[in-house]
Amino acid sequence: MVELINLSWIIALLAVIALLLVPANIKAYTAAFGVVANAITTSWLAILALTGQLVSFTFYGGNIMGDMLIRVDQLSAWFILIINFTCITGVFYGSGYLKAYDNSAKKLSMHWILFILFQLSMVWVCMIQHGLMFLIAWEIMSLSSMMLVIFDSHNPKTLKDGINYLVQMHISVVFLTIGFIWVYFQTGSFSFDAFSTYFGLNSNIWLFLVFFVGFGLKAGFIPLHSWLPHAHPAAPSHVSGVMSGVIVKLGIYGIFRVASYLRSDNLMLGEILITISVLTGLYGILNAAVHRDFKKMLAYCTIENIGIIGIGIGIGLIGLGNHVPILYYLGFGGALLHVLNHSLFKSLLFYSAGSVYQQTHTRDMEKLGGLIKSMPRTAVIFLIGAIAIGGMPPFNGFISEFLIYSGLIEGIKLHDMTQITMMVLTFAGLSIIGGLSVLTFTKTFGTIFLGTQRQPLQHKPHEVSSLMLIPQYVIIVAMLSVAIFPRIYLEVIGNILSGLTKSTIIPQPVEFAGYISTMQSISLYSLLFICTIAVFWGIRMLALVGKSQVVGATWGCGYTAGTSKIQYTAKSFSKSLGKTFDFIVIERKQYEELKAGEIFPKEKKYTSHYHDFFEFRFIRIITNRLIYSANYFKFIQNGRIQSYVLYGIVFIIAIFILTIFKIVP
Amino acid sequence: MLSFLLIILAAAFFTGIIIRTKSIASGRKGPGLFQPIKDVIRLFKKGTVYSETSSFVFRIAPTIYFSSVFVAMLVVPFGQSKGLISFNGDFIFFAYVLGLGKFFSIIGAMDTGSSFEGMGASREALYSMFAEPAFFILMGSLALLTGHTSFQEIFATLHLGSSITYALGGLAALVFLMIAMIENSRMPLDDPKTHLELTMVHEVMILDNSGFDLGLILTAGYLKFAIYGAIIFNLFSGTISYGYAIPMFLVVQAFLAFVVGMIESFMARFRMNHNAQFIVVLSSVSLLIFFGALLVSGKFI
Repeated sequence: MVELINLSWIIALLAVIALLLVPANIKAYTAAFGVVANAITTSWLAILALTGQLVSFTFYGGNIMGDMLIRVDQLSAWFILIINFTCITGVFYGSGYLKAYDNSAKKLSMHWILFILFQLSMVWVCMIQHGLMFLIAWEIMSLSSMMLVIFDSHNPKTLKDGINYLVQMHISVVFLTIGFIWVYFQTGSFSFDAFSTYFGLNSNIWLFLVFFVGFGLKAGFIPLHSWLPHAHPAAPSHVSGVMSGVIVKLGIYGIFRVASYLRSDNLMLGEILITISVLTGLYGILNAAVHRDFKKMLAYCTIENIGIIGIGIGIGLIGLGNHVPILYYLGFGGALLHVLNHSLFKSLLFYSAGSVYQQTHTRDMEKLGGLIKSMPRTAVIFLIGAIAIGGMPPFNGFISEFLIYSGLIEGIKLHDMTQITMMVLTFAGLSIIGGLSVLTFTKTFGTIFLGTQRQPLQHKPHEVSSLMLIPQYVIIVAMLSVAIFPRIYLEVIGNILSGLTKSTIIPQPVEFAGYISTMQSISLYSLLFICTIAVFWGIRMLALVGKSQVVGATWGCGYTAGTSKIQYTAKSFSKSLGKTFDFIVIERKQYEELKAGEIFPKEKKYTSHYHDFFEFRFIRIITNRLIYSANYFKFIQNGRIQSYVLYGIVFIIAIFILTIFKIVP
Repeated sequence: MLSFLLIILAAAFFTGIIIRTKSIASGRKGPGLFQPIKDVIRLFKKGTVYSETSSFVFRIAPTIYFSSVFVAMLVVPFGQSKGLISFNGDFIFFAYVLGLGKFFSIIGAMDTGSSFEGMGASREALYSMFAEPAFFILMGSLALLTGHTSFQEIFATLHLGSSITYALGGLAALVFLMIAMIENSRMPLDDPKTHLELTMVHEVMILDNSGFDLGLILTAGYLKFAIYGAIIFNLFSGTISYGYAIPMFLVVQAFLAFVVGMIESFMARFRMNHNAQFIVVLSSVSLLIFFGALLVSGKFI
């Protein structure tokens, strides 16, 4: 099946060449064709791996690289399928989203070439099991996604956010490189299998933490999250959907990959991970609740979901440490399923938010309102996404959150007081996250889609094209399939997990089968719930037959001259929450007080912003310091060619002298 | 099945008893016990008025809210007999189904584009968010104490033996009662009889609902009280036979309704900005129960 692996990059290459040649109006379809073809080839590999035929081969990459192992195992397969699904919906949605750019051919071919590279590199990140080559694929992925983010490159804000993303991704690469080189020096191999040797001989904790920082930057664990709320709003919506849906998950993939080689210290690492994850979840959703830029809100919500996934991984590690297989299965299983679920509903939410942005050209929800009347389909899609992401039945979010909750309940049965307390507190934390996400999404949905239009728009919004709607329907169908047939997905996950850990094979415990049937019955109960709603709706319709149904003005407490401006705003909706947690969500206001003697006040301006705690309190201060001290080295970059030539000569002489005196080998 | 019938029966008189207690405490004669039910039936027969800004969300929200309470009711057991829906971890399902109902009642309120209803909606979302951890820590502690994870198994094996378990049971009953008050927006947090939109929580959300929809919302409120009453009863029911359990259930429900009535008669509502603190206190009471459970199960080192 090696041919399939080669086929995947050949297809990508052909698609890139084709994209340069075809006219602008069919570039998107060419890209879609390339993405789909590539997805089919790599998904085939993935499905083979899931059915038990692991595809692997090595090729010799010269003296430096050595033998490079490329292997599609079951963990890779899971992530490859998720990547391919989201990329396909992304490319179709994107072809509708970028219709307006049909006259700028160069921009489009650049964009779609990068998109194909982006998909290819993400799939390859999951397949490569060789440190250096992994870093190369990782780097291509970061660079192509950064270029995708700055599609709107004439906007200086977008460029700044793109560069912020680029810098942070390179900090991540630094940590990953340190990790791989560390293993190389200890074992003499860049292959992932060397981790197993390394972890067998050395302390597990530090190397894992180095990788955790590297991958955690991609995934967005606090305090490493600060690129997400900038990059996601800046990117075009189909790119933010794919980025939030899958690129962030590749950080999770990395953590899973490294965790699968762990030999000891599982308990300690699990406790660290759970603590960070609960805080990540709470921090993410708290920030999501107060922001008024709806794409920024979704970005923070991604951070929250990464926290939930992290809780799952932490439970799994604690299970490994205590030799309780059911915890391992529920924790890791919940995390894997939530990776899938989040990629589905988050891309759905980003796409529908993108539809709103395309029609209204604003990301500020305070300027919107009442869109359910002009864009009813988008409204329903967003509503479904919002319910699913809140983890409420009858959608798929509940299934994975329930698995993680079950893991926590099983964890309560452990015997160590610290661990039990941690589980119960996580339990409470997860429930707060759930409650806050209800607040966040009722606020967002209510403000954008319900009520009446708050400010006049330049164009009257219309429902988006069916090219943009169909991918979203497909996602909803996929979401429902998880919700209605969780058994299929859970059995696949069970197989992945039984072969995941390299040190010992953990057989699937009987309890897990019990949980699978519980999940299946939950989906039945969810259907029962829907039937109940239908029955009561039917009764209501019958009861209303022949009764008067009048339409009148909203109750205004006697005030009859209300305008759309008197509606409750998103800001005030989350104001009391923001005030309660003002030590985390930092609000800064700018306004002028009325001066003494100002008898006839003129028009005033009042603005208020929420700042990211970590960015505002730490990162900003550190970067300011860095810039300040970097000033002292400005003389190096003085703009004179003579000095630059001098630097070169000095460098060559230095190398020459160092080699002569055998200071460097 | 038994719990289903009993909860409906209890819901029929619960609110009536509250109102009756309040009226007697304030020296009035008060309406009959079944007046709330009569009110609802009258509403069911009426036509409706919709706000002109509202969409289908506003029309479907009360139905979904009511259905969520209805399905949550199916989860609650009665002593030894299971609820219609029972599985490991069903209390999570219970909480999340109620959450969905709340979600719709909130967006239903937002759909009117009113200047008041968003206020109530935001308060409702905030308070129920704060109440969430109390419920989950409490259920987690009960799971720790009994080693089971479904409502029915937890309550069936929850033996109140030593004095410390009685203390835990009492505290748990208190927490559930307070959660019921928060869920129904009753007195220490919200005065259902207030006439100022700016200080209302639940009532202000349903200002624009009328007719059948309003009836559904009110019925859901009655059911919610009876559901929490049933949970509190289950805390103490243990393994007594049905012959005693059924009358005891009705007595417990009536007593709880009486307590709620007394609280509403003799307490003033909290200041709005102190509500959050009050609700967070519930979580710390739950934590107390958790440490008690650790002690009882011998895992406290």
